[in-house]
Amino acid sequence: MPSEGSLRIAATVIAAIGIGVAGYIAIVESGGGAPVCVAGGGGCETVAESSYSHVFGVNIAYFGVFGYVLLLAASLLRGDLARMGGFAVSLGGFGYSVYLTYLEVFKIEAICQWCVTSAALMTILFCLNAVRMVGYVGKPG
Amino acid sequence: MSGKSAREERREERLRAESQGDQQERRKRLLQIGSAAIFVVVVVVAVLIVISASDSGSGGDTNLEDVGLVKEKLAGIPQSGLLLGDPRATVTLYEYGDLQCPVCKSFSEQIVPEVIESQVKTGEAKIEFRNFVIISQESTPAGAAAIAAGKQGRGWNYIELFYRNQGKEASGYVTDEFLKEIAKGAGVPDLAKWEKDRESKQVVEEVESTTAEAQRLGFTGTPSFAVEGPGSSGKETLGTPGEAALLEEAIEEAS
Repeated sequence: MPSEGSLRIAATVIAAIGIGVAGYIAIVESGGGAPVCVAGGGGCETVAESSYSHVFGVNIAYFGVFGYVLLLAASLLRGDLARMGGFAVSLGGFGYSVYLTYLEVFKIEAICQWCVTSAALMTILFCLNAVRMVGYVGKPG
Repeated sequence: MSGKSAREERREERLRAESQGDQQERRKRLLQIGSAAIFVVVVVVAVLIVISASDSGSGGDTNLEDVGLVKEKLAGIPQSGLLLGDPRATVTLYEYGDLQCPVCKSFSEQIVPEVIESQVKTGEAKIEFRNFVIISQESTPAGAAAIAAGKQGRGWNYIELFYRNQGKEASGYVTDEFLKEIAKGAGVPDLAKWEKDRESKQVVEEVESTTAEAQRLGFTGTPSFAVEGPGSSGKETLGTPGEAALLEEAIEEAS
Protein backbone atom coordinates (compact mmCIF):
# COMPACT_ATOMS: atom_id res chain seq x y z
CA MET A 1 0.00 0.00 0.00
CA PRO A 2 1.54 3.35 -1.02
CA SER A 3 1.85 5.95 1.70
CA GLU A 4 -0.92 8.51 1.97
CA GLY A 5 1.63 11.24 1.32
CA SER A 6 2.67 9.82 -2.04
CA LEU A 7 -1.00 9.30 -3.04
CA ARG A 8 -1.70 12.94 -2.20
CA ILE A 9 1.31 14.21 -4.17
CA ALA A 10 0.31 12.17 -7.23
CA ALA A 11 -3.31 13.40 -6.96
CA THR A 12 -2.11 17.01 -6.65
CA VAL A 13 -0.06 16.74 -9.85
CA ILE A 14 -2.83 15.02 -11.83
CA ALA A 15 -5.50 17.48 -10.61
CA ALA A 16 -3.28 20.41 -11.64
CA ILE A 17 -2.89 18.91 -15.14
CA GLY A 18 -6.67 18.37 -15.22
CA ILE A 19 -7.27 22.05 -14.42
CA GLY A 20 -5.02 22.89 -17.38
CA VAL A 21 -6.85 20.57 -19.80
CA ALA A 22 -10.40 21.52 -18.74
CA GLY A 23 -9.33 25.18 -18.49
CA TYR A 24 -8.06 25.11 -22.07
CA ILE A 25 -11.36 23.68 -23.38
CA ALA A 26 -13.37 26.19 -21.30
CA ILE A 27 -11.30 29.19 -22.48
CA VAL A 28 -11.38 28.17 -26.15
CA GLU A 29 -15.12 27.50 -26.11
CA SER A 30 -15.96 30.66 -24.20
CA GLY A 31 -14.40 32.49 -27.14
CA GLY A 32 -16.78 30.73 -29.53
CA GLY A 33 -14.15 28.32 -30.86
CA ALA A 34 -13.44 24.64 -30.41
CA PRO A 35 -10.36 22.90 -29.04
CA VAL A 36 -7.81 21.95 -31.68
CA CYS A 37 -7.22 18.24 -32.15
CA VAL A 38 -3.46 17.75 -32.17
CA ALA A 39 -3.48 15.22 -35.03
CA GLY A 40 -6.00 17.18 -37.11
CA GLY A 41 -9.47 15.93 -37.98
CA GLY A 42 -12.76 17.47 -36.93
CA GLY A 43 -13.38 15.33 -33.86
CA CYS A 44 -12.87 18.08 -31.29
CA GLU A 45 -15.06 20.52 -33.20
CA THR A 46 -17.80 17.93 -33.68
CA VAL A 47 -17.84 17.04 -29.99
CA ALA A 48 -17.70 20.69 -28.93
CA GLU A 49 -20.62 21.57 -31.20
CA SER A 50 -22.81 18.68 -30.08
CA SER A 51 -25.54 19.45 -27.58
CA TYR A 52 -23.90 17.02 -25.15
CA SER A 53 -21.18 19.59 -24.53
CA HIS A 54 -23.60 21.64 -22.42
CA VAL A 55 -25.63 20.77 -19.32
CA PHE A 56 -28.32 23.26 -18.24
CA GLY A 57 -26.82 25.69 -20.75
CA VAL A 58 -23.39 25.54 -19.09
CA ASN A 59 -20.39 24.12 -20.91
CA ILE A 60 -19.28 20.91 -19.19
CA ALA A 61 -15.67 22.11 -19.33
CA TYR A 62 -16.57 24.59 -16.54
CA PHE A 63 -17.85 21.69 -14.42
CA GLY A 64 -14.58 19.95 -15.22
CA VAL A 65 -12.48 22.89 -13.99
CA PHE A 66 -14.61 23.07 -10.82
CA GLY A 67 -14.25 19.32 -10.22
CA TYR A 68 -10.47 19.38 -10.67
CA VAL A 69 -10.18 22.37 -8.29
CA LEU A 70 -12.13 20.42 -5.64
CA LEU A 71 -9.88 17.40 -6.21
CA LEU A 72 -6.79 19.57 -5.92
CA ALA A 73 -8.10 20.94 -2.62
CA ALA A 74 -8.89 17.41 -1.37
CA SER A 75 -5.38 16.24 -2.22
CA LEU A 76 -3.82 19.16 -0.35
CA LEU A 77 -5.89 18.66 2.81
CA ARG A 78 -5.58 16.01 5.51
CA GLY A 79 -8.23 14.05 7.34
CA ASP A 80 -11.32 12.00 6.63
CA LEU A 81 -13.32 14.85 5.15
CA ALA A 82 -10.66 15.33 2.44
CA ARG A 83 -10.37 11.56 1.89
CA MET A 84 -14.14 11.07 1.52
CA GLY A 85 -14.63 14.32 -0.41
CA GLY A 86 -11.84 13.50 -2.86
CA PHE A 87 -13.26 10.03 -3.35
CA ALA A 88 -16.82 11.31 -3.89
CA VAL A 89 -15.82 14.02 -6.39
CA SER A 90 -13.48 11.71 -8.33
CA LEU A 91 -16.14 8.99 -8.38
CA GLY A 92 -18.69 11.42 -9.84
CA GLY A 93 -16.12 12.70 -12.33
CA PHE A 94 -15.11 9.19 -13.32
CA GLY A 95 -18.74 8.09 -13.79
CA TYR A 96 -19.51 11.13 -15.91
CA SER A 97 -16.33 10.57 -17.95
CA VAL A 98 -17.46 7.00 -18.69
CA TYR A 99 -20.82 8.37 -19.91
CA LEU A 100 -19.17 11.08 -22.05
CA THR A 101 -16.78 8.59 -23.62
CA TYR A 102 -19.78 6.37 -24.42
CA LEU A 103 -21.47 9.38 -26.08
CA GLU A 104 -18.36 10.18 -28.11
CA VAL A 105 -17.96 6.63 -29.39
CA PHE A 106 -21.58 5.59 -29.95
CA LYS A 107 -23.67 8.76 -30.31
CA ILE A 108 -21.51 11.59 -31.60
CA GLU A 109 -19.17 9.14 -33.36
CA ALA A 110 -16.27 11.56 -33.01
CA ILE A 111 -13.37 11.52 -30.59
CA CYS A 112 -11.99 14.64 -28.98
CA GLN A 113 -8.44 14.08 -27.73
CA TRP A 114 -8.85 16.68 -24.99
CA CYS A 115 -11.95 14.93 -23.64
CA VAL A 116 -10.17 11.56 -23.75
CA THR A 117 -7.19 13.10 -21.91
CA SER A 118 -9.51 14.49 -19.25
CA ALA A 119 -11.27 11.12 -18.93
CA ALA A 120 -7.90 9.40 -18.45
CA LEU A 121 -6.85 11.95 -15.80
CA MET A 122 -10.16 11.54 -13.98
CA THR A 123 -9.73 7.75 -14.05
CA ILE A 124 -6.27 8.05 -12.47
CA LEU A 125 -7.63 10.47 -9.85
CA PHE A 126 -10.46 8.07 -9.05
CA CYS A 127 -7.96 5.22 -8.54
CA LEU A 128 -5.70 7.37 -6.33
CA ASN A 129 -8.61 8.66 -4.23
CA ALA A 130 -10.14 5.19 -3.93
CA VAL A 131 -6.85 3.73 -2.67
CA ARG A 132 -6.50 6.68 -0.28
CA MET A 133 -10.00 6.17 1.08
CA VAL A 134 -9.85 2.39 1.41
CA GLY A 135 -6.37 2.47 2.91
CA TYR A 136 -6.56 5.43 5.24
CA VAL A 137 -10.12 6.51 6.02
CA GLY A 138 -10.88 6.39 9.75
CA LYS A 139 -7.17 6.46 10.56
CA PRO A 140 -5.40 9.42 12.14
CA GLY A 141 -3.58 12.00 10.02
CA MET B 1 5.70 6.86 44.54
CA SER B 2 6.93 6.31 41.00
CA GLY B 3 5.18 5.07 37.87
CA LYS B 4 1.52 4.41 37.34
CA SER B 5 -0.41 2.09 39.47
CA ALA B 6 -1.61 -1.15 37.91
CA ARG B 7 -5.14 0.21 38.08
CA GLU B 8 -4.26 3.32 36.07
CA GLU B 9 -2.45 1.25 33.46
CA ARG B 10 -5.45 -1.02 33.06
CA ARG B 11 -7.67 2.03 32.69
CA GLU B 12 -5.43 3.53 29.96
CA GLU B 13 -5.33 0.21 28.14
CA ARG B 14 -9.12 -0.03 28.27
CA LEU B 15 -9.46 3.53 26.91
CA ARG B 16 -6.99 2.75 24.13
CA ALA B 17 -8.90 -0.37 23.17
CA GLU B 18 -12.17 1.57 23.20
CA SER B 19 -10.65 4.29 21.03
CA GLN B 20 -9.33 1.71 18.57
CA GLY B 21 -12.72 0.05 18.49
CA ASP B 22 -14.38 3.43 17.78
CA GLN B 23 -11.84 4.09 15.03
CA GLN B 24 -12.48 0.72 13.43
CA GLU B 25 -16.23 1.25 13.68
CA ARG B 26 -15.93 4.68 12.07
CA ARG B 27 -13.68 3.31 9.32
CA LYS B 28 -16.13 0.50 8.63
CA ARG B 29 -19.00 2.99 8.38
CA LEU B 30 -17.09 5.30 6.00
CA LEU B 31 -16.10 2.38 3.76
CA GLN B 32 -19.75 1.34 3.63
CA ILE B 33 -20.67 4.87 2.55
CA GLY B 34 -17.96 4.69 -0.15
CA SER B 35 -19.26 1.36 -1.44
CA ALA B 36 -22.81 2.72 -1.54
CA ALA B 37 -21.57 5.76 -3.50
CA ILE B 38 -19.88 3.48 -6.06
CA PHE B 39 -23.09 1.49 -6.43
CA VAL B 40 -25.17 4.67 -6.93
CA VAL B 41 -22.77 6.04 -9.56
CA VAL B 42 -22.71 2.73 -11.48
CA VAL B 43 -26.53 2.69 -11.52
CA VAL B 44 -26.77 6.35 -12.62
CA VAL B 45 -24.26 5.85 -15.47
CA ALA B 46 -26.05 2.67 -16.61
CA VAL B 47 -29.41 4.50 -16.63
CA LEU B 48 -27.94 7.43 -18.59
CA ILE B 49 -26.47 5.07 -21.18
CA VAL B 50 -29.72 3.11 -21.54
CA ILE B 51 -31.75 6.32 -21.96
CA SER B 52 -29.23 7.65 -24.44
CA ALA B 53 -29.14 4.40 -26.44
CA SER B 54 -32.93 4.26 -26.72
CA ASP B 55 -33.11 7.88 -27.88
CA SER B 56 -34.83 8.03 -31.28
CA GLY B 57 -32.16 10.40 -32.61
CA SER B 58 -29.83 7.55 -33.43
CA GLY B 59 -31.46 6.76 -36.78
CA GLY B 60 -31.76 3.19 -37.94
CA ASP B 61 -35.55 3.20 -37.62
CA THR B 62 -36.13 4.93 -40.95
CA ASN B 63 -37.44 3.62 -44.26
CA LEU B 64 -34.71 5.25 -46.27
CA GLU B 65 -32.55 3.67 -48.95
CA ASP B 66 -28.83 3.10 -48.50
CA VAL B 67 -28.50 4.26 -44.87
CA GLY B 68 -25.84 1.64 -44.18
CA LEU B 69 -24.07 2.19 -47.50
CA VAL B 70 -23.64 5.92 -46.89
CA LYS B 71 -22.39 5.33 -43.37
CA GLU B 72 -19.91 2.75 -44.58
CA LYS B 73 -18.72 4.93 -47.46
CA LEU B 74 -17.92 7.88 -45.20
CA ALA B 75 -16.61 5.92 -42.22
CA GLY B 76 -13.23 7.10 -41.05
CA ILE B 77 -13.09 10.21 -43.23
CA PRO B 78 -12.87 13.42 -41.15
CA GLN B 79 -15.80 15.82 -41.52
CA SER B 80 -16.22 19.37 -40.37
CA GLY B 81 -19.27 21.34 -41.43
CA LEU B 82 -19.72 20.47 -45.11
CA LEU B 83 -16.01 19.78 -45.52
CA LEU B 84 -14.97 16.20 -46.17
CA GLY B 85 -11.38 15.12 -45.69
CA ASP B 86 -8.32 16.14 -43.74
CA PRO B 87 -8.62 19.89 -43.02
CA ARG B 88 -4.83 20.15 -43.50
CA ALA B 89 -5.03 18.96 -47.13
CA THR B 90 -3.56 21.72 -49.27
CA VAL B 91 -6.03 21.42 -52.14
CA THR B 92 -9.75 22.11 -51.79
CA LEU B 93 -12.26 20.93 -54.35
CA TYR B 94 -15.49 22.93 -54.11
CA GLU B 95 -18.70 21.32 -55.24
CA TYR B 96 -21.58 23.71 -55.82
CA GLY B 97 -24.66 21.52 -55.78
CA ASP B 98 -28.40 21.52 -55.32
CA LEU B 99 -29.77 18.63 -53.26
CA GLN B 100 -32.80 18.37 -55.55
CA CYS B 101 -30.68 18.13 -58.70
CA PRO B 102 -30.68 14.68 -60.36
CA VAL B 103 -27.34 15.31 -62.10
CA CYS B 104 -25.79 16.05 -58.69
CA LYS B 105 -27.20 12.73 -57.50
CA SER B 106 -25.47 10.81 -60.29
CA PHE B 107 -22.21 12.72 -59.66
CA SER B 108 -22.49 11.83 -56.00
CA GLU B 109 -22.95 8.17 -56.86
CA GLN B 110 -20.50 7.75 -59.73
CA ILE B 111 -17.88 10.49 -59.99
CA VAL B 112 -17.25 12.02 -56.56
CA PRO B 113 -16.65 8.61 -54.87
CA GLU B 114 -13.66 8.01 -57.17
CA VAL B 115 -12.12 11.33 -56.12
CA ILE B 116 -12.83 10.56 -52.46
CA GLU B 117 -11.12 7.22 -52.82
CA SER B 118 -8.06 8.42 -54.73
CA GLN B 119 -7.37 11.88 -53.33
CA VAL B 120 -9.49 12.65 -50.26
CA LYS B 121 -8.81 9.49 -48.29
CA THR B 122 -5.11 9.88 -49.03
CA GLY B 123 -5.11 13.39 -47.56
CA GLU B 124 -4.16 15.06 -50.82
CA ALA B 125 -7.40 17.01 -51.15
CA LYS B 126 -10.56 17.87 -49.25
CA ILE B 127 -14.00 18.49 -50.73
CA GLU B 128 -16.31 21.23 -49.60
CA PHE B 129 -19.96 21.11 -50.56
CA ARG B 130 -21.58 24.48 -51.11
CA ASN B 131 -25.28 24.93 -51.72
CA PHE B 132 -26.24 26.40 -55.07
CA VAL B 133 -30.02 26.75 -55.09
CA ILE B 134 -31.12 26.35 -58.69
CA ILE B 135 -34.01 23.87 -58.91
CA SER B 136 -36.63 25.51 -56.68
CA GLN B 137 -37.00 27.32 -53.38
CA GLU B 138 -37.39 23.94 -51.62
CA SER B 139 -33.65 23.53 -52.12
CA THR B 140 -33.04 26.27 -49.54
CA PRO B 141 -34.45 24.37 -46.53
CA ALA B 142 -32.79 21.22 -47.89
CA GLY B 143 -29.40 22.97 -48.02
CA ALA B 144 -29.96 24.51 -44.59
CA ALA B 145 -30.76 21.05 -43.22
CA ALA B 146 -27.43 19.76 -44.57
CA ILE B 147 -25.51 22.66 -42.98
CA ALA B 148 -27.28 22.02 -39.65
CA ALA B 149 -26.29 18.34 -39.89
CA GLY B 150 -22.73 19.51 -40.60
CA LYS B 151 -22.74 21.29 -37.25
CA GLN B 152 -22.97 17.86 -35.67
CA GLY B 153 -20.39 16.19 -37.93
CA ARG B 154 -22.97 14.60 -40.25
CA GLY B 155 -23.00 17.06 -43.15
CA TRP B 156 -21.76 14.66 -45.81
CA ASN B 157 -23.88 11.81 -44.44
CA TYR B 158 -26.86 14.11 -44.88
CA ILE B 159 -25.95 15.16 -48.44
CA GLU B 160 -25.19 11.62 -49.61
CA LEU B 161 -28.31 10.16 -48.02
CA PHE B 162 -30.48 12.94 -49.44
CA TYR B 163 -29.21 12.19 -52.96
CA ARG B 164 -29.86 8.49 -52.52
CA ASN B 165 -33.45 9.18 -51.51
CA GLN B 166 -34.04 12.07 -53.85
CA GLY B 167 -37.54 12.52 -55.33
CA LYS B 168 -38.67 14.11 -58.56
CA GLU B 169 -37.34 17.67 -58.69
CA ALA B 170 -39.65 20.41 -57.35
CA SER B 171 -42.43 17.88 -56.77
CA GLY B 172 -42.98 18.96 -53.18
CA TYR B 173 -41.33 15.95 -51.56
CA VAL B 174 -38.92 18.16 -49.60
CA THR B 175 -41.14 18.41 -46.53
CA ASP B 176 -40.11 18.90 -42.90
CA GLU B 177 -40.86 15.20 -42.35
CA PHE B 178 -38.63 14.16 -45.25
CA LEU B 179 -35.77 16.38 -44.05
CA LYS B 180 -36.10 15.00 -40.53
CA GLU B 181 -36.15 11.42 -41.82
CA ILE B 182 -32.87 12.08 -43.66
CA ALA B 183 -31.39 13.60 -40.50
CA LYS B 184 -32.33 10.47 -38.52
CA GLY B 185 -30.86 8.20 -41.20
CA ALA B 186 -27.70 10.30 -41.40
CA GLY B 187 -27.22 9.69 -37.68
CA VAL B 188 -27.52 13.33 -36.57
CA PRO B 189 -27.02 12.88 -32.80
CA ASP B 190 -29.25 15.68 -31.56
CA LEU B 191 -32.37 16.25 -33.66
CA ALA B 192 -33.66 19.11 -31.48
CA LYS B 193 -30.46 21.08 -32.04
CA TRP B 194 -30.55 20.22 -35.74
CA GLU B 195 -34.14 21.57 -35.99
CA LYS B 196 -33.11 24.79 -34.27
CA ASP B 197 -29.97 25.21 -36.38
CA ARG B 198 -31.60 24.55 -39.74
CA GLU B 199 -34.13 27.32 -39.14
CA SER B 200 -31.60 29.80 -37.84
CA LYS B 201 -31.07 32.99 -39.82
CA GLN B 202 -27.33 32.37 -40.04
CA VAL B 203 -27.73 28.95 -41.69
CA VAL B 204 -30.35 30.13 -44.20
CA GLU B 205 -28.14 33.11 -45.06
CA GLU B 206 -25.23 30.72 -45.65
CA VAL B 207 -27.29 28.92 -48.33
CA GLU B 208 -28.09 32.26 -49.94
CA SER B 209 -24.51 33.47 -49.81
CA THR B 210 -23.02 30.32 -51.39
CA THR B 211 -25.70 30.51 -54.10
CA ALA B 212 -24.68 34.12 -54.79
CA GLU B 213 -21.02 33.06 -54.82
CA ALA B 214 -21.72 30.34 -57.42
CA GLN B 215 -23.44 32.91 -59.59
CA ARG B 216 -20.50 35.32 -59.19
CA LEU B 217 -18.16 32.53 -60.32
CA GLY B 218 -20.24 32.31 -63.49
CA PHE B 219 -21.84 28.91 -62.83
CA THR B 220 -25.22 28.32 -64.41
CA GLY B 221 -25.85 24.67 -63.60
CA THR B 222 -25.28 22.06 -60.90
CA PRO B 223 -23.07 20.46 -59.95
CA SER B 224 -20.28 22.92 -60.70
CA PHE B 225 -16.78 22.54 -59.38
CA ALA B 226 -13.87 24.79 -58.50
CA VAL B 227 -10.43 23.98 -57.18
CA GLU B 228 -8.00 25.90 -55.02
CA GLY B 229 -4.51 24.98 -53.91
CA PRO B 230 -0.88 26.09 -53.87
CA GLY B 231 -0.60 25.47 -57.61
CA SER B 232 -3.72 27.37 -58.61
CA SER B 233 -4.24 31.08 -59.01
CA GLY B 234 -6.99 31.46 -56.43
CA LYS B 235 -10.22 29.56 -56.91
CA GLU B 236 -10.20 28.13 -60.43
CA THR B 237 -13.55 27.14 -61.91
CA LEU B 238 -13.87 23.73 -63.53
CA GLY B 239 -17.51 23.79 -64.61
CA THR B 240 -19.10 20.33 -64.70
CA PRO B 241 -16.42 17.81 -65.73
CA GLY B 242 -18.04 14.63 -67.03
CA GLU B 243 -15.59 12.20 -65.49
CA ALA B 244 -13.64 11.73 -62.28
CA ALA B 245 -10.27 11.77 -64.08
CA LEU B 246 -10.77 15.43 -65.00
CA LEU B 247 -11.38 16.37 -61.36
CA GLU B 248 -8.38 14.31 -60.25
CA GLU B 249 -6.20 16.01 -62.86
CA ALA B 250 -7.35 19.46 -61.70
CA ILE B 251 -6.48 18.53 -58.10
CA GLU B 252 -3.03 17.34 -59.18
CA GLU B 253 -2.40 20.60 -61.01
CA ALA B 254 -3.53 22.67 -58.02
CA SER B 255 -1.32 20.83 -55.56
